[in-house]
Amino acid sequence: MVYQHLTARLRFDEAELRSRREFFELHDEDLARLARLRPFAEKYMDDIVESLYELILGHAESRRHFPDQATIRHVKQAQREYFLGLFAGRCDLAYVDDRLRIGLAHERVGVPPKLYIGAYARYLRLIFDRLLHEFESREEFHAAQQSIEKLVAFDMAIAMDTYIAAFVDSLERHQAAVRELSTPVIQIHDRILLLPLVGTVDTQRAQQVMERVLMAVVEHQARIIIIDIAGVAVVDTKVADHLLKTTEAVRLLGARTVLTGISPTVAKTIVQLGLNISAMHTRNRLADGLKLAMTLVDRPAAGMADDALVSDVGGDQ
Amino acid sequence: MRDHPIPILRVGKTLLVTIQIELRDTVADAFQEDILSEIERMGAPGLVIDISGLDTVDSYVARVLVDTGQMARLMGTEAVLVGMRPEVAATLVRMGFQTRGLRTALNVDEGLALLGELLGRG
Repeated sequence: MVYQHLTARLRFDEAELRSRREFFELHDEDLARLARLRPFAEKYMDDIVESLYELILGHAESRRHFPDQATIRHVKQAQREYFLGLFAGRCDLAYVDDRLRIGLAHERVGVPPKLYIGAYARYLRLIFDRLLHEFESREEFHAAQQSIEKLVAFDMAIAMDTYIAAFVDSLERHQAAVRELSTPVIQIHDRILLLPLVGTVDTQRAQQVMERVLMAVVEHQARIIIIDIAGVAVVDTKVADHLLKTTEAVRLLGARTVLTGISPTVAKTIVQLGLNISAMHTRNRLADGLKLAMTLVDRPAAGMADDALVSDVGGDQ
Repeated sequence: MRDHPIPILRVGKTLLVTIQIELRDTVADAFQEDILSEIERMGAPGLVIDISGLDTVDSYVARVLVDTGQMARLMGTEAVLVGMRPEVAATLVRMGFQTRGLRTALNVDEGLALLGELLGRG
């Protein structure tokens, strides 16, 4: 997933930032408190990062995400910067942007949420263990601990959002690919297109089919589109109606539809449904449909719906 | 004389109308009037209406276009609507718009060829 897609999907603006900070109870005084801990952070930065990576690199599954020394050096450096970022005393859109990029980097190298959260748990323990010795009073320690927890929770929420957005994004890309594959419009002859329909046709798919067919007809300036429904599992009222609508829309463009693969069962269904098929050119076998298309293709345009049956019979002799 | 900016051109014996602006209701009516009087004046046997410039066609405009074709026909002029965009066709069909009797073609060339065939035959 690319960064632009992520931000477009999450729409993280000032209002969203305000709303989140309110819910995480992340106030300016928390940020100020964290900023005051900056010397503490700088003092323990290396210690904490090294200790964190003992866990990460000591675990077989986790280790796999860090293939070589260069990568490890790189992520440790990134981790040090991240750590200091917690104590920068700010939480604005630039901060969110930085966190989104980090989340995206985790997602990209395939670090699953369980490893991210598990590592974060140790991270917090490491921080708190060291923080305990920084303060005289228990109250001060407690306040600092809470401020850190708030910002960390805020960060983790962003990371989870990134994971989910990336997942949804890949899901949608797969769906688009499946859609593309499920309506393959092929040019099989000069100005003749073929769409073999296979599988189940529901309303959503029927609409895609219509859109693809119309776009393809105009794009190729095709005079004929053959839709073969031999591979369609069930042709019921709805499917038949969609096919009729597609035929009608194709005619409005100035082209014609030849419907093939009409089995005896489908023929029965259509007639028993009382659908008006006078405007349709239909054949049982695709080969016959192609022959019909070849005779029709030399005529310039669709003409009127009422002409269809007449020219069909005439052209086929 | 005309209160709409749609030019009506003459190509041979055919009238060619290319609509490139959005048709508002009043314009659509004036446009219909104008085509019919042009047919009367010229006695053109064919009419091509090109709507490839239209992104959207609402039901009123669609009705005017279909009606104009039928009125032209009554006056002895074959009319062909050409260049309809995919999204327009899909919308009209989804609305259940009745278009029986409407002649269509992919583009102006095809429309002229269709008229040639129809008129040559007749």
